[in-house]
Amino acid sequence: MAGFQELPEHRLTALSDDQLIDYMRRAREAGRHDAMKLPVGVLVYGYWDSLVNRARLKLPSADAENVAGEAVASAIASAFDGRSIGEFRSWLHTILSRRIADHLESRKRKPRTTQLPSEHEGEEDVWGSEPAVEFEGEALFARECLQRAYDEIDDPRHRQVIDLYVLGAHAAADTANRVGDGMTETNVHQISSRFQRRFKGLLAGGNTSE
Amino acid sequence: MSDVERLLAEYKDVHRSGGDADPSPFLARTSGVEREQLATLIDAYLERASRREFDAGALRDSPAAAVADSAQRTLAGSAGLWPVLLPRLRNQARIKRADLVAELAARLGAQSQQDKVAAYYHEMEQGLLPASGVSDTVLEALGKIVGYGRQALRSAGQMPAPGGPPPDAGAVYARTTRLGAPADRLAVEGSREPEQWDEVDRLFRAG
Repeated sequence: MAGFQELPEHRLTALSDDQLIDYMRRAREAGRHDAMKLPVGVLVYGYWDSLVNRARLKLPSADAENVAGEAVASAIASAFDGRSIGEFRSWLHTILSRRIADHLESRKRKPRTTQLPSEHEGEEDVWGSEPAVEFEGEALFARECLQRAYDEIDDPRHRQVIDLYVLGAHAAADTANRVGDGMTETNVHQISSRFQRRFKGLLAGGNTSE
Repeated sequence: MSDVERLLAEYKDVHRSGGDADPSPFLARTSGVEREQLATLIDAYLERASRREFDAGALRDSPAAAVADSAQRTLAGSAGLWPVLLPRLRNQARIKRADLVAELAARLGAQSQQDKVAAYYHEMEQGLLPASGVSDTVLEALGKIVGYGRQALRSAGQMPAPGGPPPDAGAVYARTTRLGAPADRLAVEGSREPEQWDEVDRLFRAG
């Protein structure tokens, strides 16, 4: 098919998110719908755990999977249409946050009042337990506190420690190496602990610096 | 190191190792402000997490496989996000598909053609029925059952915009027939000309 060349798995999985979406778009334009299956799988699988577990922080587990599924499909579809904003991962998590908020809102607004006679009698556990964090408002406040604690850090090297070690996946030693400029593993732990204390203080209602 | 720092480090280890990183057991080990603190840190960490390396075998065994299938049907089909959204709304409303179809047929005044309604609904969930052909009457009725707005259902059916040539009819038919009898029957009836459509056909196909 002119203009589209199907790639093997090892080459597809090396592509960035945006490159995968571009690849799928070209496959679709060429009528090669079968060739979209693998890149869709790469994107969905790649972010599934992060999305579901973020959703589990606010929703029952069964709802979390449904909401995460809709979020990832919506994000891919809108990126496909050129309607996404910024990098795909960030867009994906923005969509997830909106879907979670919509879901919580719909639960408050529209409790189902008409039960069908055969509606899952005795199967209530199918729908999971209560969410870990009940109120979206509290979660928003907590995110604001986290952002504020971060914004209060003046030293860019210390911010890098928060990015890599506290909110990232790097070990303390690796973080120290990456930041360089005399940063030690002990420094990383101290910066992290100070940041965590400040964040906790803001959350608890304190408004003063240490 | 505080309890929260230790729990966050443990959580990240589990997540990085590819295990089930459900945050609930970690949150259960804290309370009050510390629980909120940990939940927020886990949330921020997950939001920044890189795309996991692809593993075809792990995908097959994961609930993500069904999501990937529906997302692929969304991109390849002609019903936008319905393959993803409709099953979710059905689950959220806690309605079995058979019950939903019965209620939909009743609301459309088509109780005697419940099999045909079932076949059309099946095609909506599979992304095989062009969203533009499904009438507002159907979307209104469906929306009332699952608790979702007619216009929102319409918008979801239009995303992403249709593009590219469709797969060949044989491929669609082969996939449809593997999924069960109702779609089989619809595939046969789908060859009928518009002038032969009855009221149910018009509701689902004439827009």
